[in-house]
Order: sequence, then C-alpha cells, then structure tokens
Amino acid sequence: MHVDWAALAIVAVVSIMTSVIFTILLASGIRLVSAAKIKSNEGGSGIATVSLGYLSLSIAALIVLFGIYLIVPQFH
Amino acid sequence: MGTDVTELFIVTTVIAVALIFDYTNGFHDSANAMAGPIATGALRPRTAVILGAVLNLLGACLSTAVAKTISGGFFDDELITASIILAGLVGAIVWNLMTWLFGLPSSSSHALFGGLIGAVIVGAGIASVHGWVIVSKVLLPAVVAPLVAGIAAAWATRLAYRITRRTPSVHTDTGFKHGQAFTASMVALAHGTSDGQKTMGVITLVLIAANLQAAGTGPQLWVIIISALAIGLGTYSGGWRIMRAMGKGIVEIETPQGAASGAATSATILASAHFGFGLSTTHVCTGSILGSGVGRGAEVRWSVARRMVFAWLLTLPGAALVGGLAALLADQGVCGISVLLVLLAGTCLAIYSLSRRHRITHANVTDSHEVLVLAAAAPPTYAGEALLEAPNKPKKVKKPKLKSAA
Repeated sequence: MHVDWAALAIVAVVSIMTSVIFTILLASGIRLVSAAKIKSNEGGSGIATVSLGYLSLSIAALIVLFGIYLIVPQFH
Repeated sequence: MGTDVTELFIVTTVIAVALIFDYTNGFHDSANAMAGPIATGALRPRTAVILGAVLNLLGACLSTAVAKTISGGFFDDELITASIILAGLVGAIVWNLMTWLFGLPSSSSHALFGGLIGAVIVGAGIASVHGWVIVSKVLLPAVVAPLVAGIAAAWATRLAYRITRRTPSVHTDTGFKHGQAFTASMVALAHGTSDGQKTMGVITLVLIAANLQAAGTGPQLWVIIISALAIGLGTYSGGWRIMRAMGKGIVEIETPQGAASGAATSATILASAHFGFGLSTTHVCTGSILGSGVGRGAEVRWSVARRMVFAWLLTLPGAALVGGLAALLADQGVCGISVLLVLLAGTCLAIYSLSRRHRITHANVTDSHEVLVLAAAAPPTYAGEALLEAPNKPKKVKKPKLKSAA
C-alpha cells in the first residue's frame, strides 16, 4: 500500500500554520484599527496604531492574493 | 446505420446525465464555501449563492486541463465504457440527492468514484477493483481532512478570540465578516477549478470514445460552457438543506469563529491541492467548522457530526450499490438505458417531493438547526413556525458568549 506520508505531513503543517498566521494578522489588524479609532475619539493621535493595523490587514490581503494565484492555473 | 443511432443515443444520454451530475455537484457543495458566511450573516443567503455560482462558473472556465482518466486509479482504464460511465453517474446522482435530502454533506467525488466502482464490479468482477487505492485515496483522507482542518480551525479560532478580547464587537464584527467573505470566495473559486473539470472530463472522454473528437484533445468550447453553467446553476440553487446542516447543525457559528474556520478551510484545500495529497472539500469544510466550535468552547452537536462521518463512510459503498444496479440496466442496450433514465427521473422526483414536506430555502435557512425529512419526525411547533416565519432575515449571532470563551 502506497501512502505519501511526506505529502500528508506537509499538507498538515502548511494548512495549520497558514490558518493560524492569517487569523493572527486579521485579528491583530482589526484590534489595532479599532484601538486607533477609540484613541482618536478620545482626542489622542492613533497614527502609529492605525498604520500598524492596516499593515497587518494588508499582509493578510496578500495571503488571499497568493491563494488566488495558486488557484488560477493561468498564472503559473 | 442502426449501431450509429444507438451510439449517438448513448453519447447524448451520457452527456445529459453528466450535466445532471454536475448540477447536483454544484448544489451539494454550495455549502462548503457559503454555509459559514450565511450563518454569521457576513453574506446574505441570496448574495452568497450568486457569488458562489459566479466564482464556480469562472473557476470551471479557467481550469480546463482535464485529467486523461476518470478512473482515479481505482481500476484499470480499459474497463471504462460509455455504459459504465452512465451507470456510475446515475449512482453518484442518486447518492447526492439522498444525502441532500437528509442534509448530509458528503463528497461528490467519492460518490462519483463509488458509482463507477459499482458499475465496474458488475461488469468485470470485484477483482478488477484495486482495494488498496480505496484505503489510501478514500478512507485515509476522510480521517485526515477533518483532523487537519479541525486542528487548524481550533487554534485559529482560539487566537482570534484571544487577540480581540478587549476590542468592541462593533469593530470586530465588520472586520471578521469581510475576512470571511474573502476566504469563502476563494473556496468557491477553487471548487470551480477542481470540480468543473470532472464533468468536462467525462463528456470529453465519451466524445473521444465515440470518435466524435480526436484522441488527446482537450474539451471543446461548448463542453466547457455547458459544464461551467451546470455547476454554476447548481451552486446558485443553494442546496439549502446542506447549507443549514453545516452552518447551523454542527455548532452555532459566531463571527470571529466563522472567519477562523474560513481561513482554515481555504488554507487546507489549497495546501492539499498543491502538495498532492487530495482531500475532499466537503470533509475539510465540515472539519474546520467542527474545530472552530471546539476552539471557541462552544457546544458542538456531536450526534450531527457523527451522522455526517457515517455518511462519508457510506458514500462509496452506497453509490457503488446504486451504480452497480444501474450497470445491470445500462448493459441492456437502448431499452435498458431508457428504463434506467425513467427510473432515474422517478427517483429524482420522489426525493424532491419528499424534500417539499419540510422545505428549506434561502429565506428560512438560518432559522433552525434541524433538517427534517418526514412529517412524523417534526415537533409540532417547528412545522408551524417554518410556515409562519418564512421571510425572516438571517438571525444575528448572539454576542455575550464571546467574552467568556476567550
């Protein structure tokens, strides 16, 4: 019986890591942008926080774009 | 002359039945991408299925490099004939409709392989089926897919709640819903590219076998278009019974949880497609919804999950049984095939009319978590409610639980 255990292990590790990293980026982005909004409502400046938040969301968006790149066969 | 007409009849029949299979494939798997966003309200039910349909159609048109074989290694390619393909498709369609009736998400690919295997057993004996391939391509992945996707979703969900513990839910809601809509769209597109090909492959194979197309050529434009349309229409029709079972039946899905399970589903599907360890989209998706429920510490309906796993295990033998019986008829020439078509139409109608007893539509998909089949099984209140509350909007997910779970 032939089972490609190496492929299985890679799939497991990559799936889990990507899900976790994507979720961390998305959740952190949401948290930082929200914190910045609250800060500016209170009269403070949330520039640093908001840029960090959008940076985090942009990296999450890049992961989505990479996913689309993988799906569409014409791209590779 | 006579043989030409017979052959043309068989070819047309296979194409028609293949398109019906493609349609059931679409509505059976519509929930894989869209059950989550519909359950959390990230997308309205109608919007979700339209988006899913368009992306499936697009995906099917993008990926037309069909596999040379449809045997999947389960048996030798020489055994494949038009009547075996026909019987296999009938087995897969009937199994897809039965599982849809009971709201059980099962793999359409397994149903198709099951139907073909049953037909091959009838035609060439059980020895012609490679048993170990069934273990390595069906049984093992059915265990691995929900485990991997479940672990990924559980961790992602836990982190999502931990990170946004102190963030007001007004802000997290929109953000996570957007994230969920994106990941769901990826799943729908990926589904189109992988499953759209199956029907194109079947039709192309039959056309080549009948000498209507040169060997070694890809699918013709009209084949691509009708296959893509069939899977798109199927997705659009929603398969609301499975949508409810996945979105509401296993566990109540909250917004951050939905985003995390969506991320796990798309990551696992893409990784499995890319690194060559094929996993069923349906199994992956069920696994991540389950895992996200565990990760949030929510009450998972294990009885529902158990029933789904039984359905997965039964899919191959179940479809094989129907496919085998269908093969007995399909081998009897034009008469047998005509009887088979009448029986298929009758079965489809019977299942459809059974489903009408407790209809689930885009309007009431999120109202309850139960998929009822027979009137006797219905608690009296629900039957009444379903009629009265039909036009309700999807319910908002309750928030208070969120904090205690994190």
